[in-house]
Amino acid sequence: MDSLDALVAQVQGFSGTDDLLHLFSLLKQSDELLHTHAPRLQYALSSLDPAKHSLGYLYLLEVQSSGTLSQEQSENFLALASTFLNVCIAEQICLAPEKFNMVCRRVKEQALQLQEPLRAILPLQAAIRKLQPSSEFLTAMHADFLQMCLLAKCYKASLSVLEDDIFEIDQKRTGLVPRDFLLYCYYGGMIHIGLKQFGKALEFFQHAITAPATVLNAITIAAYKKFVLVSLIQLGQFHDCFVQVPLFPKYTPPVVQRNLKSCVQDYMDLATSYVTRNIADVKGYITTHEDAFKSDNNLGLARQVIASLYKRNIQRLTQTYLTLSLQDIADNVQLDGPKEAELHILQMIQDGEIFARINQKDGMVSFQEDPEQYNTSAMTMRLNLEIHNIVRLAKKLTSVDEQVSCDQVYLSKIGRDRPRYETEDFDIVPQKMYTNL
Amino acid sequence: MAIPVNGSVAGSSGLSFSAVQEAIKAGLYADLANIIDTLELEVSAAGASKPQDWPYAIQILAHVFNHDLNSARFVWKRTPDAVKQSNPELVAAWKIVQCMWMHDHAGVYAALRAYSWASDVQQVVAAVGEDYSHGMLKLLSTAYSTVSVVDAAAFLGLSENDVVTFTSQQHGWVLDPATKMLTVMPMVAAATKKTDSSQLQNLTEYVFHLEH
Repeated sequence: MDSLDALVAQVQGFSGTDDLLHLFSLLKQSDELLHTHAPRLQYALSSLDPAKHSLGYLYLLEVQSSGTLSQEQSENFLALASTFLNVCIAEQICLAPEKFNMVCRRVKEQALQLQEPLRAILPLQAAIRKLQPSSEFLTAMHADFLQMCLLAKCYKASLSVLEDDIFEIDQKRTGLVPRDFLLYCYYGGMIHIGLKQFGKALEFFQHAITAPATVLNAITIAAYKKFVLVSLIQLGQFHDCFVQVPLFPKYTPPVVQRNLKSCVQDYMDLATSYVTRNIADVKGYITTHEDAFKSDNNLGLARQVIASLYKRNIQRLTQTYLTLSLQDIADNVQLDGPKEAELHILQMIQDGEIFARINQKDGMVSFQEDPEQYNTSAMTMRLNLEIHNIVRLAKKLTSVDEQVSCDQVYLSKIGRDRPRYETEDFDIVPQKMYTNL
Repeated sequence: MAIPVNGSVAGSSGLSFSAVQEAIKAGLYADLANIIDTLELEVSAAGASKPQDWPYAIQILAHVFNHDLNSARFVWKRTPDAVKQSNPELVAAWKIVQCMWMHDHAGVYAALRAYSWASDVQQVVAAVGEDYSHGMLKLLSTAYSTVSVVDAAAFLGLSENDVVTFTSQQHGWVLDPATKMLTVMPMVAAATKKTDSSQLQNLTEYVFHLEH
């Protein structure tokens, strides 16, 4: 019997759960065989069922898609891969995460080549769910999935994956590399910017900046540029300027802390200019440096910075005045006239950013307190949800704390440092824990 | 196993929009956006291109109904130019979104009335219009203590006489004929304040957690 046919027969025969590991080792050895029989793989694939023989199907699919593909081959591969990713058996493909990641990456590349990123969204989402042991694990496909959503402008489709809290990074089970994590944070931040959820975007970019690193990389720099702009929009400040607060959190890798600021000088200057709260200055700065922002694709974000400065200036007025005329507001905030001031204020009231009443008869605005009494059932439900989340997080933290306390490396370090501290009557760590290393 | 070779579909296809039609008939406009978006992803994943009778206008209006102008904009951005030029209903729906984005309230109502919509689209348009004017009324009553009749008419899409009648009869606003200003009465929102016994279970859990 021909060797390829023999392999196919073995896949069909051994795909039951008992012989799966045996099949896996056979497949690992038959890489070369598959490459030599490449033209016949199409027929081999058609005699296998992706829902039953997932592992064998995966190997054949991976070899079939290697190298450059013609348009027809590309379409063919995408069609097969979409069906496969939807119906494959999770237990089988989890044996070969690297191969699975490779197939998914090819799906992304082919979809990009055909310029149809929309096509890859559902298959990649299915792939993420198949490979993840639970929704708390990050996979290598997260970044590709988010990239496809961004390119296809289907931001909402990414929400189900984006809203999962990631707690676990397991390289063995998911075949993850650091680049995937950084790209996940970067694209995730960009999607949140598109959805105007600047607080969450800030979180994601901060993860990208504080990720452990020994060398500075382009993704971190790009993330930092967006981080500066988004913090201006969301927080109205950037810690460095005129405040003696350390810029980065303590756990930022030192190489990032030392070198990052020098790469993003334009953005730091914009932040300095923003703090002066002078709209004309900020507008002027952005116009002069338009090319720099445009080349980073950050021009739209820079314009949103200007819009946020207007809002912030108006909000500062509410802290000083109880009532103010529309004309005074316009002068204070450098708007064109009372009508424009009225439009701005109306918009802010609609968005819930200030509480005020406009009196058109007198052309005055009276600022008010937040009328929220926090005693409605809707508010109670929200409080419940928040408390529930915090409790879940606290439990997670306790379990991580316990895990670290039992970790060999940690105990050895604690044990070694023990003589430096005051001697106590009892052993914190038994002698044998750290002398054997 | 059948391998689809070239998945493009020409003309109006066997793809059934029955779920969409049912949602419109049942008045479940809030669900429309989700239904159509998922359908779009599924069609694309199967390798097919969108059929001729794809409900672009309804897709955009469904997002507008959910107050999600961002998603409506993205639908417009990912529609190919050829479709934009050949589908006047889509362009009319986009005009509504543009007016809403620029806060051109009078423009929104004009755009809603300007086009003669297909029958199922008309239902969605009517729902969007009603929701919008209700939202505007709420905004007026929270944001203004006095407002001119001209502005109120623009916000609510009514003529000046109609807006005076409507607001004074239904909401007790008072017209000052000399200055043509309406004094706004705040809307009374009925907020439920009762808590029920399920809260007790939650509270017990929190106390337990805090103690341990």
